[in-house]
Amino acid sequence: MINEDKVILMTKLASYEQGEGRKYNNISGYFRTDYISSQLLKSLIAGTLAFCAIVGVFLFYNFELIMEDIYNTDLLAFGRKAGTIYLVCMGIYMVFSYFLALYRYNKAKDSIRSYYADLRKLEKYYQ
Amino acid sequence: MLTLGSWRSIISEFMSNFILTRELIKRFYSKYEAYVNPVLKFIFSMILLSIINSKMGYMSRIDNIAVVLIVALLCSFLPLQAMALFAGLFILLHMYALAIECAIVVGVMFFLMFILYMRLAPKETLAVLITPILFMLKIPYVMPVAMGLLGTPASVVSVSFGVVAAYVIQYIQANAATITTLEDGNMVSRIRFMVDGLLGNKSMMGMIFVFAIVLILVYTIRRRSIEYSWTIAVITGGLTELILMVISNLSLDMNLSVGGIIVGCILAILVGLFLQLFSFHLDYKKIENVQFEDDDYYYYVKAVPKVTMPVSDKKVKRVHSGSSASRSGQHRTGKSAQTASSKSEGAARTERTVHTANGTSRTMR
Repeated sequence: MINEDKVILMTKLASYEQGEGRKYNNISGYFRTDYISSQLLKSLIAGTLAFCAIVGVFLFYNFELIMEDIYNTDLLAFGRKAGTIYLVCMGIYMVFSYFLALYRYNKAKDSIRSYYADLRKLEKYYQ
Repeated sequence: MLTLGSWRSIISEFMSNFILTRELIKRFYSKYEAYVNPVLKFIFSMILLSIINSKMGYMSRIDNIAVVLIVALLCSFLPLQAMALFAGLFILLHMYALAIECAIVVGVMFFLMFILYMRLAPKETLAVLITPILFMLKIPYVMPVAMGLLGTPASVVSVSFGVVAAYVIQYIQANAATITTLEDGNMVSRIRFMVDGLLGNKSMMGMIFVFAIVLILVYTIRRRSIEYSWTIAVITGGLTELILMVISNLSLDMNLSVGGIIVGCILAILVGLFLQLFSFHLDYKKIENVQFEDDDYYYYVKAVPKVTMPVSDKKVKRVHSGSSASRSGQHRTGKSAQTASSKSEGAARTERTVHTANGTSRTMR
């Protein structure tokens, strides 16, 4: 004999597992610090690549000027200025990435928590 | 001459019919979602790629209906991000055919957009794609109001990216002849010309600024827990956009027609009101097919969301004789609209009919 309430609960759980649960399960598989660190590392790589692309365009844009003044330019000061801009931009981007990762992790945990509550209800049918 | 009462009656009848139509569309969509989505994606990618080809069309090999059809067919089965990828690829190929320097500058711009933002918010891809299309249709003013209603404050970034992409396309289109004749083979001067044109574009900056303010304003008002917050948000947003656009048009010499701005902002308000009525993403539940098993059975379950207000239930009574009777008729018509509205709200509840493998069925609430 089929237990209809159990079927309904199992349908809800299966629907979650095949839908948003799949996405959240990946996130909640990490410890919080691990997940946030991995996201920050990705942002660091992405931000560095973006900065390199901008610097590349800047150098191309000022190519003639740089070639003319290359011997008169204080390269150390130029590098220091570029480094400062890089650090400030990356700092802002990393703070944004940190809060985004934190928000996503907490959301995933909340969602998985209610899924586990339903799983516990299902478990009672087998006791 | 129609009296105020007659207008009320007409409006309530219209609303009743509108809610009915909305329910029908919702029912159709939830039933045939698996087929409707690819068709919509196909049509949208066809329009997008055709517009890109017609506005740029420097590479004759891809400015071909057969290529567009094949790519649109591919997009219909792939996620939305693939459509953005193909649109970006088409633009880059056209740029490459015009001048390699254009492709480099636009490529770097797309790379930055993707790596800094789209990677984090892939769902915002659609906003980036639609904004340039609306620019080409001369109605970009719709975008901040629509995204304020449907998006989040973060949508400011995606709408801004869309504005930048639209201005890049416009700039290159307007200066194609200059770019090709610019000191043949001098890469640096072409890149300078492109970067100068983009960064020094006050019109683009003004547009981004106005759109950002309007989007955040609409979002903030519609999130308030006040009555008619969506309507107030749409109208306030539309009017603010109108005022800010006129001011920035005059102060930044944007060369936009004031008539176009007025018509565009009125259209933005109308689209906003339409979106408000049609925003069935709020209570949309789709059909779900799930499979699972326990110790005794295998289950193949199709969970179908219940949709209320069947078509045959619609009753609109018209009373034409006498003023008192007329008022009574208006009252009844209004009531029927109210009933329809309350029934449509009922659809928001999650109700599922479960058909199990052995044929039993049950309604879930």
